[in-house]
Amino acid sequence: MDDAQLEERVHECGQRLAAGLAGADTGGLRHPLAAGERRMMRSLIGDPRLRAALFRFVDVRPACHSRTELVRHLSEFLEEAGAGSGNARRLARLTGRRELTLPTAGAAGLGVASMAHRFIAGEDAQAAAPELSSLWEQGRCVTLDLLGEATLTESEGERYAQRCTQTLRALAQMSAGWAPNQLLEHDGLGPLPRANLSVKVSALTPHLRANAPERALSAARDRLLELLRLARELDAHLHVDMESLDTRESITELFLELLALDEFADGPPAGIVLQGYLTDSEEQLERLLGWLEQHPRGAPFTIRLVKGAYWDHEVVLAAQHGWRAPVFTDRRSCDRHYEHLTRRLLDARAGGMALRPAIASHNLRSLAHAIAYSDALGLAPDALELQVLRGLGDDTAAAIATYGRRVRVYCPVGDLVAGMAYLVRRLLENTSNDSFLAAQTTGADINLLLERP
Amino acid sequence: MSTESTFRNEPALEFRRESVRAQALRALAELRTKLPLRIGPASGASASGELLSYNPANPAELIAVAPDGSAADARAALVRADAAFASWSALDAGTRAATLQRAAGLLRERRLELAALEVLEAGKPWPEADADVCEAIDFLEYYALGALALDQGRLLPQLPGERNTLRYYARGPHAVIAPWNFPMAIPAGMVSAALVTGNTVVFKPAEQTPACGHALVQALHSAGVPEDALVLLTGADEPARELVAHPLVHGIAFTGSCAAGQHIIHAAAQAQPGQRHVKRVIAEMGGKNCIIVDADADLDDAVPAIIKSAFGFAGQKCSAAARVLVCEQIADALNERLAGAIQALRVGPAEDFACDLATVIDAEALARINAFLDGAEHEPRVQAEVPVGTGGHYVPPTLFVDLPPSSRIVREEVFGPVLSSERVASVDEAVRIVQEGDFGLTGGLFSRSPQTIEHVSRLGIVGNLYVNREITGAMVGRHPFGGGRLSGTGPKAGGPDYLLTFVEARSVSENTVRHGLVI
Ligand SMILES: Cc1cc2nc3c(=O)[nH]c(=O)nc-3n(C[C@H](O)[C@H](O)[C@H](O)COP(=O)(O)OP(=O)(O)OC[C@H]3O[C@@H](n4cnc5c(N)ncnc54)[C@H](O)[C@@H]3O)c2cc1C
Repeated sequence: MDDAQLEERVHECGQRLAAGLAGADTGGLRHPLAAGERRMMRSLIGDPRLRAALFRFVDVRPACHSRTELVRHLSEFLEEAGAGSGNARRLARLTGRRELTLPTAGAAGLGVASMAHRFIAGEDAQAAAPELSSLWEQGRCVTLDLLGEATLTESEGERYAQRCTQTLRALAQMSAGWAPNQLLEHDGLGPLPRANLSVKVSALTPHLRANAPERALSAARDRLLELLRLARELDAHLHVDMESLDTRESITELFLELLALDEFADGPPAGIVLQGYLTDSEEQLERLLGWLEQHPRGAPFTIRLVKGAYWDHEVVLAAQHGWRAPVFTDRRSCDRHYEHLTRRLLDARAGGMALRPAIASHNLRSLAHAIAYSDALGLAPDALELQVLRGLGDDTAAAIATYGRRVRVYCPVGDLVAGMAYLVRRLLENTSNDSFLAAQTTGADINLLLERP
Repeated sequence: MSTESTFRNEPALEFRRESVRAQALRALAELRTKLPLRIGPASGASASGELLSYNPANPAELIAVAPDGSAADARAALVRADAAFASWSALDAGTRAATLQRAAGLLRERRLELAALEVLEAGKPWPEADADVCEAIDFLEYYALGALALDQGRLLPQLPGERNTLRYYARGPHAVIAPWNFPMAIPAGMVSAALVTGNTVVFKPAEQTPACGHALVQALHSAGVPEDALVLLTGADEPARELVAHPLVHGIAFTGSCAAGQHIIHAAAQAQPGQRHVKRVIAEMGGKNCIIVDADADLDDAVPAIIKSAFGFAGQKCSAAARVLVCEQIADALNERLAGAIQALRVGPAEDFACDLATVIDAEALARINAFLDGAEHEPRVQAEVPVGTGGHYVPPTLFVDLPPSSRIVREEVFGPVLSSERVASVDEAVRIVQEGDFGLTGGLFSRSPQTIEHVSRLGIVGNLYVNREITGAMVGRHPFGGGRLSGTGPKAGGPDYLLTFVEARSVSENTVRHGLVI
């Protein structure tokens, strides 16, 4: 299949996915959030000052110990934004009126909490159980992510490890009762566990150091080892997330070293994340593929390809130190590179590696490209997994399921305090000018959105 | 001045890349083959003894041998600097500025080697050693630009028939007395500010870090500063006292302890027979810096920033955090996390990238800090482990919680890895505590309330207030540095006003009316 033919197929896939988005009847694309929030998101995208004010409010919300504190913060943020934002001025006047104050705070507080619940499946795995099984019934599998405060002490690392243990057990137990689903549970490489946990190594230990990756190797080793053993025992999938570049070396070294141990030769199935926005991500991919070749395991290895969630952080950190940014700074190059990596992953799978490519994105173009290329290689439909985030990618997940492809929904669980940081990040991502979802929200034409980057 | 628009900070080495760390370790190994470094006596000096510097992590490792300068050496050095003044000050500003920029280039070429030297001689962990070299380069570049701007003079109001000009002039030989904790950056700032404005300099580095001081002087000489316009004077207290008291000295730039600073200010104020000028003193003298933590602070951010501020370079920075003033509502949560974070610190030799903090500078510092810790014998504390049996000067990073206000650890500058956490009822109470302190150098505020931030910022309670970030690591140009009260005399180093202290303004007013005509 030549380039033009592939492009044509990408467009077809994209159109089909778009048609599967629930309520795709409004001319432009429907936004994945509910109508009220859609309106709010739209005004936030166009009003950066109001956006900043509201995000700061969401951020501080769990640290406000009383309604008075809530009101004070909200009013201050709005007032500061007011200089450049008419919306914010109007809102500030509202919150400033004494008789409205407490109810406003209540509403604002509740609003934030309900927004958080859209993204966070529950306080813990137990609480999220109904949601997880209903996703399964709708033909979507899941991976759980445990939100929490930063791990700065050993006891915080220990507590996170315990939560992981409990979650793995709870997941194994609850998922045993789910109805069989061929697409979600099998691919050409064997069975896919229903229980799937995404782990943050930085939460397991306070010893991650950018300048000394070896330090994490001893510090986080025992905890991660125990989790791998438990996953093997429960026949669950263990995935490690990727975080800021400062931790990549620690996470990669540690995880690969443990997986290479004899005791894990036949399980558990495990995986890692590749961040396509890093300019050296191709080297990282080759390193992972090289490792896979040298360490053939009985259990397949998943590589989840994402763009990357720490773009602003990486750019700011580099600028403050006078370093070249380690990420692409041009959206189209980033997307182009993502497609390149997608093809490299699928080629490796087609070449017979025990590799499970997972394409994690809400960008219909990125998803459609993966499907079209995978088909073009003649891979079976179950050889490719697509992944989305809960809250952001709900409609996308539905569309993928309708398309007949396997989709995994990344479900964060945790309490409100921990949830806020996550929520702020997702909202920022969703309303940034550079985001596919933002373009979708503002009603861009599907053909433009599917254009080759 | 347009300095701010063209100036860029020297980028730090990216140690998070394995290849950069490997280069650094190679540079260190290479340097080790040349030890001990021998620093020759300045020509014409008659040094009596030897000054030795050692690796604080391994006092058996001799780093450098330098002359132990005497009062007579100080006098000889001043005579040379005085003789060189006429020709150095007569150069045009552009020539001097270019010389500084060349010196910056020479330091830049030796980045790794110089950082390695700081690692060994000062016990500075790699990132901080490198940051110090960068800052030295920054000072040279920044003051070069500043001097060019200053050379334009100032615009004055002009009336018909009158031409008014104002120009700045060099003053004479300066004494620069520098500390060991920023062994290249701080002297680079003081020396280059004096030189670039046309003064000559006798520079006495700290007795613990003569090789770092020598490296700086070497760069300036190689760049074209005449040998006599900048004279290196290694030694301990004796030559420093002589410099301060000597009538040939026009200005003294000092960074160090409060006691020494006050002594210098006092001594410099006594005019000597034959002295026809008033000595100026810039003294930067230390702090007892507080970080205020508001009830709405994000502890995920505050805890690592406090740890870094208090324990970076084992607390041996005048900007380091010594006290945390935390609002009651979150005090327990903060203290618990601080305690756990301290226990996760790794202490070891500066050359080991895996260590968070290293030694203190020497045995004397070790004894002094231990005396503080012993004095607080009965107070509960949290500490990290330190290596034992290495002979290195290690002090365990230590946290005290809720010490009585009368405790020495709360009141006095420890200049070591010791932090005290105290509860306050409100940010306002914390502000009062800061204002009542003897020092006013740096301070921190963690808050998510714009009004609280604005309120505390406006009060100007310290020289450098850092909001929602660590309170150390001032960058030249971006964070002009220096404090008030007993912390120093100002003006701020790395800021737009610093050079003014090294010059004298003179104005000329010319009558341009002849025979009733303006010509
Ligand atoms: C299941 C799942 C798991 C995930 N796990 C991880 C993980 O472990 N680690 C991680 O870091 N992220 C992870 N992500 C988050 C993911 O990185 C973000 O959701 C993603 O970047 C958004 O990309 P998109 O393809 O959905 O949207 P798009 O709108 O197509 O892309 C947005 C992304 O492009 C990049 N970008 C933004 N501006 C620019 C610019 N000016 N120049 C170049 N690039 C730019 C950023 O990465 C931004 O997030 C995961 C996502 C999913 C769905």
